[in-house]
Amino acid sequence: MEKKRISKIVAVIFLLLMVFIWIVPVLYTMISSFKSEADIQTNAFTILPINWVIGNYQDVLFGNTSAPVAKWFMNSLIISVSQTVLVLVIVSLAGYGYSRMKFKGRDAIFVFLMATMMFPAVVNLIPLYKIIDTLGWVNNYLAAIVPGAAGVFNIFLIRQFMQGIPKEFDESARVDGASDFQIFFKLILPLIRPVLTVVALFTFTASWNDFLWPSIVFNDVEKMPITPGLQLLQGMYALDVAHALTGALVAIVPTFILYLFTQKYFMESLSLSSGVKG
Amino acid sequence: MINAGVNKELKMSSGIEKHSGKNRINFSPYLYIGPHLILFAIFFLFPTLYGIYISFTNWDLIGDPEFVGFANYKEILFNQDSTFYDQLRTGLGNTFKFVLFTVPACIIVPLLLAAGLNTKPKGMKFFQALFYMPTLFSVSAVMIIFSMLYSVSFGPLNHYLNVETNWLATQPYAWITLVTVTVWWTIGANMIIYQAALNGISKDLYEAASMDGANSIQRFFRITLPSIRAQILYTVVITTIAQFNVYGQPLMLTKGGPTSSTTVLLMYIQENAFGSGISIAGIGAALAVILGLCIMVVSAIQFFFLRQRD
Amino acid sequence: MRKISVLMFSILFVVMMALSGCSSTSSGSGGSSSANEIVYWNPFTGPDGKNMEQIVNEYNKTNPKFKVKNVSIKADDMYKKIPTVVNSGKGIPDLTIVHAERIKQFVDNDLLTKYDDKLADHPEIKAENYVPAGWNIGDLNGSRYSVPLDVHSFVMYYNKDLLEKYAPHALDDNVITFDEIKAAGELAKKDKIIGIGITWTRPIFLSIYNQLGGDITSDGETPTLNTPEAKKALELLKGLVDDKITNKDGEDPGQLFKSGKAIFFPEGIWMQNSVNEAKNLKWGLTSFPQISPDKIVNWTSSHQFVMFKDKNRSEEKTKGIMDFLDYVRENSLPWAKAGQNPAALATLENPEYQNLPQSFLVKNPEMQNTLKIFDYKYNGFVAEEVDKLVGDAIYGKLNIDKGLKSAQKAVEDKIATNNKK
Repeated sequence: MEKKRISKIVAVIFLLLMVFIWIVPVLYTMISSFKSEADIQTNAFTILPINWVIGNYQDVLFGNTSAPVAKWFMNSLIISVSQTVLVLVIVSLAGYGYSRMKFKGRDAIFVFLMATMMFPAVVNLIPLYKIIDTLGWVNNYLAAIVPGAAGVFNIFLIRQFMQGIPKEFDESARVDGASDFQIFFKLILPLIRPVLTVVALFTFTASWNDFLWPSIVFNDVEKMPITPGLQLLQGMYALDVAHALTGALVAIVPTFILYLFTQKYFMESLSLSSGVKG
Repeated sequence: MINAGVNKELKMSSGIEKHSGKNRINFSPYLYIGPHLILFAIFFLFPTLYGIYISFTNWDLIGDPEFVGFANYKEILFNQDSTFYDQLRTGLGNTFKFVLFTVPACIIVPLLLAAGLNTKPKGMKFFQALFYMPTLFSVSAVMIIFSMLYSVSFGPLNHYLNVETNWLATQPYAWITLVTVTVWWTIGANMIIYQAALNGISKDLYEAASMDGANSIQRFFRITLPSIRAQILYTVVITTIAQFNVYGQPLMLTKGGPTSSTTVLLMYIQENAFGSGISIAGIGAALAVILGLCIMVVSAIQFFFLRQRD
Repeated sequence: MRKISVLMFSILFVVMMALSGCSSTSSGSGGSSSANEIVYWNPFTGPDGKNMEQIVNEYNKTNPKFKVKNVSIKADDMYKKIPTVVNSGKGIPDLTIVHAERIKQFVDNDLLTKYDDKLADHPEIKAENYVPAGWNIGDLNGSRYSVPLDVHSFVMYYNKDLLEKYAPHALDDNVITFDEIKAAGELAKKDKIIGIGITWTRPIFLSIYNQLGGDITSDGETPTLNTPEAKKALELLKGLVDDKITNKDGEDPGQLFKSGKAIFFPEGIWMQNSVNEAKNLKWGLTSFPQISPDKIVNWTSSHQFVMFKDKNRSEEKTKGIMDFLDYVRENSLPWAKAGQNPAALATLENPEYQNLPQSFLVKNPEMQNTLKIFDYKYNGFVAEEVDKLVGDAIYGKLNIDKGLKSAQKAVEDKIATNNKK
């Protein structure tokens, strides 16, 4: 018991140290969002603003009549939620296929998928745009939703996780007469809930923060998601620090809320899974 | 109606099981991997193959690509007088440096954080939320935040350290800055994966080890690490791939400087394919293919070594 | 379990419905141009975007047959989008603003519609009505490919109080020379005030290079970067750094100027809003510093209206575009208020415009002649290399000879690869 206490104290000290490193930039951003640009640019550093202003928030949220921030917000929600659901369905099916089912060339296909993912997608922009255009998806939410579901990393993660679930589970279910799909649906899916939550969180965040691809496939300001939308507010030659920091904070609010929700959820499901392994 | 569909599928797969013998052709796996494979082929495989094809052409993105065989590869790999040969060497060298500097930190720091959080201290949810939060920021936001923090003129860092260090444009500070930013920004995902994994380790194992007199460090190496090997393998591979694709940090913080010492390969690829001049997409694509091959080799090596410990 | 499965599939179902729903609604109203709308792409995001939008809105209020739809896209993204849409042939904008330096490349690839025959109905869109530096850019191989919106220059701001204190007579001839900056900087050193800020290195270097008689190309094809003039230009700047007349490496020159710690601040005329944020600062605007007063050079670029070729664009719509351009020609004042200099002379006569600080650059033909656009087919390659070279060279991190040599080589190699058959 004494030993346990010592290791806990060490852990807390370490965590507090890291908290300091992690919190400084966050606090800096929050406080700076209440500074005026003139304050940041003309004075030496001060911790607190000389004058507290909320003008940055007003400008970012309502300042530009041509910037329909509320609309962008809705667009982003539609895109990110749809993509997350689509990814969860596709990825859990595929993860099951690659980890639990036996078929010819299974590992070869998987290695091939992984290998292809390693090519940096730089020049892919133009062929990808052509495909989207052929499908008639330019300026359509689908263009931002569907290609994201083609990724392999999430399958890799789920596959790794599924491999931690003992095969005996399936076999005993099979003896009881369960089919593949039943095993997948009733046995495996509930067990991989923690990792699915993680995948959901990652997918949502990535989709929310993507800016190059959406700005290529959406011409219409009304259709744009919020991340490329907010970039429109930044000047061409000049960079306005106060507004940029404020915009960054505003943009993470939804993902942060989602995180807080899933945090609660995967904490719960983590304890569910602890019986499985070991 | 929806349910009918499900039942049908269930029947179908069980039907196959019943009727087929040992060497049956089983279609049901393809029902699981099929949806993804189709999307993968359309939205990833085809564009990637096209990108590889482009590396064998001379193309300005606008006209028609013109097939030039291996000319681009000869230029970047063997023509020592060529600027592009230098770009590959400098860019790849800096990319490897970046990977070497950041990957260990991006594995160890979140692992320690997850282990610390696993002791379930008070305020754990707050800790976890804070460490994860930076991951939610977009790259440009993070780079603005840090260029301000490190700024010689109005940054708090120099203000409180009372120095005039130029963090972004002199070495070795430029590298230190890039590594810190990257660790701060990206460890959230790995931390969560480790937390999920650590939570899954059975308490009995630890108790048994304690009985044997193992101290906490021994337990960490004997029980914790082996138990989460699958997740470590995953994070090592994914983190390495992600760091090979580094672009935003040096572009926006150090601008590749001083004297191209932090210009990573992806910056040269972008400059050639989408720079302010006429596009040289063929060279850009060839550089990208080389980068892809390097990532493949490194990942394969990682797989090999991490798997071997079985 | 059954509940979960029903839930999951109903979610899937709803999503599918939503997907098919939004695809059917949006395919109709997609961004590609509807019949009587001019889709107008421009890289004006941020504050100047508002001013452009104001022009467009006011034009649409005049009830033209073809209304203009303003689409602002970040410059980087816009230049990535152009090849993608041109390649697929769909969603091509009707009217686009591009930077002057890009036009030659587009013309070489035969992407632009010529204005020649369209100008007949709009006789006022002619050389006499525009600033020459802006107008001449669009004239290639005897045809007209673009109409200028503005000429935006890289000049110099100065702190009026500090100028009075350290160099009271420097501006008497309307030109600040580098010698005057050096003298003022030496005087100001004891007060911890710097002479001049090193801001955007590319136009700073190119202006000096051109004053010394250099240019980035000798014949429109061959790049000329590794020249004695270029070396001299870099040495001049390095001298200022070594004499501690400038800000230190990494120090923010804008912050120094805005907080009254720099006398001179070379920047673009478009930075006025930013400089105005410093409430207590009294500033003036003058030409970029010169080596000698008899040859003045102000680095300039220009935003130009072009029409990418699109076989679906009707004759009538093209006419509508020309109407809009004619309207902009006469109503560019909002654009001037964004800190730019309109290229159309009609606005330049407006007294409200003449009160704007940047108007000195175009007020007479002599000043208009100081505007130098570095117009070269391979300008982009030069820009990339110059950006890597200048900062490191003048702050002593890169040997000047070596730097110039490798910059020259890089531009040559890029051109050669580009032209390889």
